[in-house]
Amino acid sequence: MKKYKFLLILGMFLTIHTLNAQITLNLALNPRPQPYLADWMYPINGQMIISFLPGTVVNDPSVKLKTTLLDQSRNIIGVSNINAARVYTLRQGVNQFTMADALQLQNLMLPGNVQSLLQRTGRLAAGDYYLQVELYNSGGDIVRAKQISHFTVISYQLPVLMQPANEAQLDAHIAQSMITFRWTSLIPASTEQTFYRIQVFEILPGQTPMQAFRGNQPILDEPAKRGITQYIWRPNLPMLDSTANHRFIWTIQSMDAKGIPVPNADMNTQGRSEPAVFTIVNPTVSVEKKIKNDVLNNH
Amino acid sequence: MNQITKIALILALFLTSEVKAGEKKDSLTVKGDMGIYYEGYGLNKTPGTSTPDFYKARKPWNLLRYSFNPVFSYGKWEIPVNFNFNLNLGQNNFNPGFSGFGMPPGMKQNFWQFLTNPVNNFGIRPKIGNTEFLLGTQYVKYSDLSTGDLGIFGYGVNLAPGKFRIKLFKGVSQGPVKYIAPSIPNPNGIPGAYQRNQWMAQLGLEKEGKYFAGFNIVKSVDKTGSITSPPLFPIEPQENMVISFLTDVNTDKGWKYHIELGQSFFTRNLNAPLSITPVEDFKPFINSHTSTSKDNAVMLGIAKKGSDWEIGTKFNYYGAGYYTAGFQFMTNDKMEYLLNTRFNAWKKKMNIVGSIGERYGNLSRTAGPDLTKQIIANINVFTQFTDQFSMNAGYNNFGFNSPGLSGYKSVSNELTFNPVYTWNSTTMSNLLSGTYTWSKYDETTILPPTTTKNNTQTALLLYVPTFFSSKVSPDFSLMWFKNSAPTINLTLLTSTAGMSWKMNSKFKLKGQLQYSLSTTSPFTANKNLLVTSGFDWEVFKRFTWQLTATANVYHYGTELPGNSLTPIYLGNPAYFESILRTGLQYKF
Repeated sequence: MKKYKFLLILGMFLTIHTLNAQITLNLALNPRPQPYLADWMYPINGQMIISFLPGTVVNDPSVKLKTTLLDQSRNIIGVSNINAARVYTLRQGVNQFTMADALQLQNLMLPGNVQSLLQRTGRLAAGDYYLQVELYNSGGDIVRAKQISHFTVISYQLPVLMQPANEAQLDAHIAQSMITFRWTSLIPASTEQTFYRIQVFEILPGQTPMQAFRGNQPILDEPAKRGITQYIWRPNLPMLDSTANHRFIWTIQSMDAKGIPVPNADMNTQGRSEPAVFTIVNPTVSVEKKIKNDVLNNH
Repeated sequence: MNQITKIALILALFLTSEVKAGEKKDSLTVKGDMGIYYEGYGLNKTPGTSTPDFYKARKPWNLLRYSFNPVFSYGKWEIPVNFNFNLNLGQNNFNPGFSGFGMPPGMKQNFWQFLTNPVNNFGIRPKIGNTEFLLGTQYVKYSDLSTGDLGIFGYGVNLAPGKFRIKLFKGVSQGPVKYIAPSIPNPNGIPGAYQRNQWMAQLGLEKEGKYFAGFNIVKSVDKTGSITSPPLFPIEPQENMVISFLTDVNTDKGWKYHIELGQSFFTRNLNAPLSITPVEDFKPFINSHTSTSKDNAVMLGIAKKGSDWEIGTKFNYYGAGYYTAGFQFMTNDKMEYLLNTRFNAWKKKMNIVGSIGERYGNLSRTAGPDLTKQIIANINVFTQFTDQFSMNAGYNNFGFNSPGLSGYKSVSNELTFNPVYTWNSTTMSNLLSGTYTWSKYDETTILPPTTTKNNTQTALLLYVPTFFSSKVSPDFSLMWFKNSAPTINLTLLTSTAGMSWKMNSKFKLKGQLQYSLSTTSPFTANKNLLVTSGFDWEVFKRFTWQLTATANVYHYGTELPGNSLTPIYLGNPAYFESILRTGLQYKF
């Protein structure tokens, strides 16, 4: 009897699924997506996959998405407007969407502070979030599938150059043997070790600092020791000589463990921090001149 | 354009300017300078080839550079010219992305690329009366929050009718660069870049030396169709617009005021869908995309200057979404203030310069839950105790703190003393200068919980005798440097002797010898000899020739044993580096 009961239930189950279309929703969201929400259009952030198998009775391929953004405690911080949602017509089989389609940034209603931050930066505050997507019928009144996915948003602030500070003057007697560079760490400190690369460029005669920075071959282009925010450079250059280049521009390039530049607003800069200029001065020359002038004046 | 044609053109420029300069027409005057500079670089390593490559060439083998900076004046016309450029046609710019110039290895730039290459500068600014034209490469800086520091190749005009100031400029700050995938001969590839066009305008009122008030408008757009092989994600075409209001006021009583308020619209990715959320369109300038953001920045400053003192303060705020394409590297999402002063004391024998400020970062909390905090403080006291003895003392403190589990903290304290003593006899003067710097740099990370203590000491002793009746001027110095940290214990000892010999009023011979020992415990010392010699020669009136040759011999100690290289080398590696610099300069 038990066997018949099981077969009966199985038969009913299959009948219902044959009558109704079968829709499954899969949110394959990268748990560490790009911090700029507009970048969610790229596959690196994951994909939303909707599988659609039409039934004999209910086979409406039109669906709408309702997106809900929740914070770490699963409190709702943003909901999309289902009435303004785009109607998608599903193909039979697998339908692929970007995570930007799932997020519906154009249609997402956020509270004042979150909306303000999004307007100002295109990002969410750092933290843990949940993305919930519900698949509605085209009328927007029946939920046909639903999935929720966790993700963490983090943006990085590039290091700030500390020493030599911008427009610092260094004594040539010391600088031609050794210059110490220091910078702040990438913020927040990455769980994977950050890879820093120090680059120093000579500013040639007539060049502006940025001209040198954009085109010249760096005179120093070395990785710093992993995780260390200090580099001692031994230039061994004749900086006391009057014809030597006495102006330099330097920066730090920050890269992740795979050697990929840390993302920032303008990726043309390839993860380079705001550069600083320093000048090498020879105090002996000015002292010599002063003494000779004093002597001339006294005689 | 081949090398010969280019050199011919340069020579023509050189000769033309000489002829013009020599002409004695009252109406035409030429002032300025021109020069040609060459730098040759050589590197010989022992062993010649090895893996890993223990020392890489750090300069181009040959670098020829030309500069031509005259100001032509003819009647009401004034034409400043600013040309400086590299003559290496095969050069590939080091930063092909944001320099806006890069091409496959082995290819040569064409004439147009040569003109617009950011490493070169071809700019003229003809001026007649109150009208100034800007042509070629220009560094247009209207204000701190708007135009930036990039060279832009284009054209524009500055007008100054009465108190009105009207400035317009249009150009290209970044040329198109094709994406080239990494390959075996070119392992880094070329990331590529879109052509970036810039438009800028300023409308203001000015009374020179008294006040300026005006608006700046800058728009930058990456041309999406500018390149057949566009760069890959995350380099995307961008659009930026900045509007700023700027005012500067100087009063007769020594007060200075500076205010600039800016707002930027920034579309990180023009390929993202058009959308009026989250940022509405700013017609007719900006059609918003989902990747558009809008934010503000503020700069305020006030200063008062007295006869022998000065005090000032400034406050800056840059919103996390504030961006100007003219200054791509600007650090935003921060607020900072700085107080600075300079005054004399103790019968004007003491001069004190000091500043203190704080910088708060991560205001948006997009990089973590907490603010970051940075302290910048420094003071410098110079005291002239007697005619013979003076002392300079300085203290710097830089502190950075990012709290939280992913936090980081660093504190740098640096103290410097520099006493200088001079004494004279009837035949000579002597100068003895000592510098001692103590620096402590501590870094703390929460995860893993580690504090790295980095202590540095530097001592420099300098002796400069000056002979009243001699044409020889020597100087001698000794330097000791020690850096102690958990992973490094470095000691550096350097002795230097320099000499210049003014053989006659036009010819000066100079030379320098430096020997260094750098020891990283527990290894034996690396030894370095640096020899430099050369001359400064005034060949003709206003025409000078300078030449310097440098030899740098470096022998590694056990820090780099030969058996750590492939193929194994018996003994410790060494290299010989040579640099030849020469320049001809003519002032007219």
